[in-house]
Amino acid sequence: MKVKGKTWVASGYVMAYDIIIQKYWTAPIDPAENAKWVMAGVAEEFNRENGFKDQGYTFIVAGHNFAGGGKSIEHVVTGLMGAGIKAVFADSFARLQFRNAINYGLPFITCKGIAEICQTGDQLEWDTDSGLITNLSNGRALQSVPVAPFVAEVAQAGGLMNFIRKKIEHNTIAELQ
Amino acid sequence: MTITEKILAINSGRDKVTPGELVWADVHTVMTMDYLGKQTFTQLHKLGCSEVFDKDRVICVSDHLVPPPTVEFATMLNEWREVVKQHRITHFYDLGRQGIAHQIMVEQGHVLPGKISIGTDSHANTYGAVGAVGNAIGVTDAAVAMAIGKCWFRVPETVKFVIYGEWQPWVMAKDLSLHIMGMMHWNGHLIYKALEFTGPAIAQLDMAGRMTLCNMTVDLGAKNGIVPPDEVTRQYLQGRAKGSWEPLLSDSDAHYEAVYEVNVSEVGPTVALPDKLDDVVPVEKVAGRKFNKAFVGTCTNGRVEDLEIMAKILKGKRIHRDVNMIIVPASQAVFLEAMQKGYLQTLVEAGAAIDTPSCAACAGIHTGVAGDGDIVLSAGNRNMKGRMGSKNAQIYLTSPAVVAASAIFGEITDPRTINL
Ligand code: SF4
Repeated sequence: MKVKGKTWVASGYVMAYDIIIQKYWTAPIDPAENAKWVMAGVAEEFNRENGFKDQGYTFIVAGHNFAGGGKSIEHVVTGLMGAGIKAVFADSFARLQFRNAINYGLPFITCKGIAEICQTGDQLEWDTDSGLITNLSNGRALQSVPVAPFVAEVAQAGGLMNFIRKKIEHNTIAELQ
Repeated sequence: MTITEKILAINSGRDKVTPGELVWADVHTVMTMDYLGKQTFTQLHKLGCSEVFDKDRVICVSDHLVPPPTVEFATMLNEWREVVKQHRITHFYDLGRQGIAHQIMVEQGHVLPGKISIGTDSHANTYGAVGAVGNAIGVTDAAVAMAIGKCWFRVPETVKFVIYGEWQPWVMAKDLSLHIMGMMHWNGHLIYKALEFTGPAIAQLDMAGRMTLCNMTVDLGAKNGIVPPDEVTRQYLQGRAKGSWEPLLSDSDAHYEAVYEVNVSEVGPTVALPDKLDDVVPVEKVAGRKFNKAFVGTCTNGRVEDLEIMAKILKGKRIHRDVNMIIVPASQAVFLEAMQKGYLQTLVEAGAAIDTPSCAACAGIHTGVAGDGDIVLSAGNRNMKGRMGSKNAQIYLTSPAVVAASAIFGEITDPRTINL
């Protein structure tokens, strides 16, 4: 499948703390609600209701340790999903948010050097089967790291919750290994 | 295999695991706490489960919001209590029995060598102090584990730190942590790795120090930190461990991605400068810098041993009049022991304020937060802008010994230079 859309490119290190600012850490998990203030701490222009969401980005492109700083809150991922983000491409991801992304089925795709071939506003095309990311605005492309089978399976089920719920229903938890 | 690989293998019913592999493993205990706990139970219900997999092995703790400073927090706590009661959770450490969850997990014997324990808070890495794999997870992972007693893990590469030499006077595990932070860089090579701490200087380290060391591995970006269980571990767990355990150790031919050696004789009191954790200097480089708030507590440095060293330094002294010092014991048990040993009396006589066990100002959402213009000398674990409240405050991180010595003069002071 090919996903196309506009990208936002991080200019520096993006911390989980800035994607969801302190005030919203204790808010309930709800993509629509979490999306209202997602990225509020990353840039001044996003620090208003729907500031990021209204820009209509489909992808985020970042450097190392995206969503780092050691926060486990899932609002980071649900907020991005609620804002319409379909994938994040980066050199590397922080462990906790990488887990959350897998569990919610938001692709966090490792792609070294991706930030060097993209600028905010560029149109990207991501081939989910081959992992090729093409910048339609300048014609450059990079191959990303393929998604592991377990990760794809969870994403296909619509996230870990659905994946496990089905296993509980069908009494097949013992199959997990 | 390394100790971390072995623990992941045994608990997932395998003979062997390799780094990069994804495995579903049995977890010994699952911790959740006040501000994410209700959400965790809500997720559990969404899985179609009304019961947890084992009422004795889901540990619930009130730490971030107790006692509640606002109506909103009080209401959250009420909902939290309700849901914990409804599930008849055996071990509920609510206000009055509370403590910082990571302290509770280790101190109350809910974490055992050779087993896996997870928690919905990033500093669950602390559990490695007793030779367990301790990992932080989100509420969805916690809900799944509460439902089925299992969690998925990616097997990490292991990096070994061999620590040798003699611990110098007033040098604490925190100084070693900060030293490693400066050496490796926070945002650097240790992302996703298991860090194994061994060597003669680790063998000499007490459990409090091992907890500090493992605690801060998450701030290095690591997946977990672990100290192989030994005699110190066995004695610590005696009368404390809830459940039986067998020590697991790394094989002599285990594969390490890298091995680093640190001579602890060369590590002195250390300070991380405001905003960046890996901007680390020896204390003498910043001696004389003024500050107005001192904070000692948190899952990193709120233990009896930390209060003991502070009491030694502050005995018969007065904290400088321009410094507000807040000390927060990490749990009620720590509070009680420090009281019985007279440390709290000494600290109060010196002019410190003692707050009830909680995370307090550590994450900037509870008591004692930093305001505009504050310069905080903290024994906590994070110093990014806004961590303790205002974005216009500065946070220096260091050991409890440096905080205590500095508090006397109102400026950063090397504890080795003061007359006791
Ligand atoms: S003391 Fe600080 S770092 Fe530790 S659990 Fe509480 S808020 Fe987190």
